[in-house]
Amino acid sequence: MADKLEDVMNNVFRKSEEMPEGSKLVEGYDFNEGIDYHKLLRTYATTGFQATNFGRAIEEIEKMIKKRNEPLSEDNKQKVDFNPIERKRTNCTIFLGYTSNMISSGIRKTLQFLTQHNLVDCLVTTAGGIEEDFIKCLAPTYLGDFHLKGKELREKGINRIGNLLVPNSNYCLFEDWIIPIFDQMLEEQKKGMKWTPSKVIHRLGKEINHPDSVYYWCYKNNIPVFSPGLTDGSIGDMLYLHTYKNPGLVLDIIEDIRLMNNQAVFAANTGMIILGGGLVKHHICNANLMRDGADFSVFINTAQEFDGSDSGARPDEAVSWGKIRADAQPVKVYAEATLVFPLIVAETFARHFHSIKPESSENEEIIK
Amino acid sequence: MDEYTKAESGASQSFPQQCSALRKNGHVLIKEHPCKIVEMSTSKTGKHGHAKVHMVAIDIFDGKKYEDICPSTHNMSVPHVNRKEYQLVDLDEDGYLSLMDDNGEVRNDIKIDDGDVKDSIEKAIKEEEDARVTILSSMGKEKAIACKNSTK
Repeated sequence: MADKLEDVMNNVFRKSEEMPEGSKLVEGYDFNEGIDYHKLLRTYATTGFQATNFGRAIEEIEKMIKKRNEPLSEDNKQKVDFNPIERKRTNCTIFLGYTSNMISSGIRKTLQFLTQHNLVDCLVTTAGGIEEDFIKCLAPTYLGDFHLKGKELREKGINRIGNLLVPNSNYCLFEDWIIPIFDQMLEEQKKGMKWTPSKVIHRLGKEINHPDSVYYWCYKNNIPVFSPGLTDGSIGDMLYLHTYKNPGLVLDIIEDIRLMNNQAVFAANTGMIILGGGLVKHHICNANLMRDGADFSVFINTAQEFDGSDSGARPDEAVSWGKIRADAQPVKVYAEATLVFPLIVAETFARHFHSIKPESSENEEIIK
Repeated sequence: MDEYTKAESGASQSFPQQCSALRKNGHVLIKEHPCKIVEMSTSKTGKHGHAKVHMVAIDIFDGKKYEDICPSTHNMSVPHVNRKEYQLVDLDEDGYLSLMDDNGEVRNDIKIDDGDVKDSIEKAIKEEEDARVTILSSMGKEKAIACKNSTK
């Protein structure tokens, strides 16, 4: 009997191994110290669960920015730049990918900041992510509710994106704006211009000429934007209509894949920041495969891996493909991007931008 | 855009009509082809922009199928389509019809291609039967589309 008791005691109070030296402690933010948002966000790193991943994502992006601000090595300077975008090379090409709902939401403002100040090097998004940016310059998107009834909304001519609402009239304005541009583009095509999705986006960014537009700044700063699925949205509907009214416009996706992959191939180092899954996630990772993997990666999405989807795949799966380098320290934050992305940018890009601005001249070329 | 025929009184060959007023079995001009609408569907205002009418139509002369999409508030051209019956007089070896209208005036300028209508005409001539030929005209084109016996 005493033996049995001893066994139980030994199981319950199993002796633990000593924690290795340097192990980090779990530590949350102490509100007794007041409300210091920067310290609060820094404390996420030691808070555990996704807060810790959030902290790690910030670290990983800090590495990207630091690398990017380094001057090109002599070796890299010597290399002939076959990248046809003619963008000044940075020491770390940062790929930013996001699904279209990011543009529908207020995250668009954060993305506009990043492109306005030339803080990223290559964008990938879906058709909605392109058109909604332009539509917002013509008419606004409204806050709604996830539970608004579809039937009633349809009768009122209002479209729902999650808990946001876009009236049909917004799309009518978009149609009126874009169809004449397509007509012009067709005329240019007849004179020899070869259109691709990225060239279309560049042109539309030029045409919108509006400081709120993400792609206006991409046009101004010569940041390429790739969207191989450009027809899968309202733009596609407009292109479809255009084939009846004024047929002939052609978009070459092969020329674009060449350009996209070369963004990675000719990069000195690369970083990936991907909000969401699907095409935007895979397209960027696949381009990085061409250079044996990205050096730095951050995924922010809500997808799970149990269904074998690429969207839900953890960074380690990408390592198996050679899309992320084996010695990299990629991070996945399991979170809905609107909650975390502005905070991450606040702690990284925005922080750098605002503290650098007053004094330095050395980074001005990148910021320009 | 409206053309004026040489032979006709100088009235235009088509008139504009709002897309939403078009109906199945009506006529519409698609890329200068006078057509009869065989299918029509509307997509309400939505992600694709303004409400649109999608139609499939068949050229009234050669039967070719054409498609078009038009915003429902825009106009499309509707061709004037006329049918006129003539008394069959003769068919020459080059395929030109000799026809007499109700005023007794004869015209010889319409050629007929091989087909059922031509066969009917040849039969009527061979058997010396009275026949009436229907001529379809629209957008400056004319074609014989039917031949009916009219022997009393």
